[in-house]
Amino acid sequence: MTIIFLKNIGRFIFLILFQVLILNNIQFSGYINPYFYIYFILLLPFETPRWLLLLSAFLLGISLDAFTNTYGLNASACVLMAFVRPFVISAISTGTEFMIGHSPSLKNQGMKWFAYYSILLVLIHHFALFYLEIFRFNEFFQTLLRVLLSSVFTLLLIFLAEYLSYPTEK
Amino acid sequence: MRYLLYFLRKQYIYFLFLALEAISLLILFNSNDYQSNAMTRVSNGVTGSVLNISNNISEYFSLRRVNSILAEDNAKLHSNRSEAFYKADTESFYHNDTLYKLEYRYISAKVINNSTNKRNNFIMLNKGYRQGIENHMGVIMGDRIVGQVVSVSDHFCWVMSLLNKDSRISGKFKKNDQLVNIEWSGGNYQVGEVKEIPKHVVIHKGDTIITSGNSDIFPEGLLIGTIDQYTVAEEENFNYATIRFATDFNSLSFVEVLIDMMRKEKENLKNSFKSSEK
Repeated sequence: MTIIFLKNIGRFIFLILFQVLILNNIQFSGYINPYFYIYFILLLPFETPRWLLLLSAFLLGISLDAFTNTYGLNASACVLMAFVRPFVISAISTGTEFMIGHSPSLKNQGMKWFAYYSILLVLIHHFALFYLEIFRFNEFFQTLLRVLLSSVFTLLLIFLAEYLSYPTEK
Repeated sequence: MRYLLYFLRKQYIYFLFLALEAISLLILFNSNDYQSNAMTRVSNGVTGSVLNISNNISEYFSLRRVNSILAEDNAKLHSNRSEAFYKADTESFYHNDTLYKLEYRYISAKVINNSTNKRNNFIMLNKGYRQGIENHMGVIMGDRIVGQVVSVSDHFCWVMSLLNKDSRISGKFKKNDQLVNIEWSGGNYQVGEVKEIPKHVVIHKGDTIITSGNSDIFPEGLLIGTIDQYTVAEEENFNYATIRFATDFNSLSFVEVLIDMMRKEKENLKNSFKSSEK
């Protein structure tokens, strides 16, 4: 139990630093900003109580906000994402029992399950984030393009991380 | 009452969600009043030191370019020294200090965090209250504008870059002093929008736009950029153009914060005018 706890705290710090020091400095174009740090919320264990899910998502968002001077922006998107996570899990559940202490992963849940899970949650987060950031409707389609392009890159990073952390056994 | 408590207990997760969302949105939409925001002052210390470390490393990669900018500036300053002027008449050549009262002071600051890929971009500098920086001060690089200070802690400050949806710069055509507004609409960080160009102004590609000096933030005559493309709108009252910024926001490393020595006086004058109007 303590190990899972420490592992998640370590992941929290690593992902925030990775986002702030590396991803935020990469310039693809004005339209692509991957937000890989939400990988933390995706990877929280299945039996995490919902209040802890919400609180840790809030902490994650507000910590990132402190680095980019956008207080509340990432926090609200993360809280929304953490709130819908249990609904998404039950909606796409395959009926198989999830093991205690396990995090959602590509290896344990399979490609199809993990793809649905991550695509839905990443899209929800990015929609909330980019539309709150601009908060006007006259740039609706520009923002939509940003949401879609950034989601693709965030998902690429997530799948890359999944393949790197769980090498396929032969 | 018991049922209410029971209801709250059963549905507490929804209330927690709504409470956390409400907190984040309140912070997000009230964050314009940065100075009263105690959170910024505390967290700037932490985030500032982390970003400072990362900048100490990445700084080395831009040294060559910074050097050439400094050399250019040096040459410009040398040519302004009194030794550089030819004294035609030794009798009447003098420099009277009472005529030239210092209006702007410049504080050099290092950029330790910067972005150009977001819709709202901010820049963090390594100078704060201790060095005399306050809110609403202008930030420039050489003779080009960069942005305005929006939040200050003891040793650091955040600057709202021109690349922000809340940024609106009052500018004018250098050739005929016609006033325009400059904004940025996201996407390419090198190109902005010039709005409200009066119909009678003839626009050419390459026209220079400078600051108008109408706002309290920037003095007159700082370079904003040059006209890139323009459209003549038939049915509207104003024409519209895009502007290519003179500042390269993606390669900022050292900037200067403008301290207006007469700001108090200007504000007092403005306030007295406002109160007499009522």
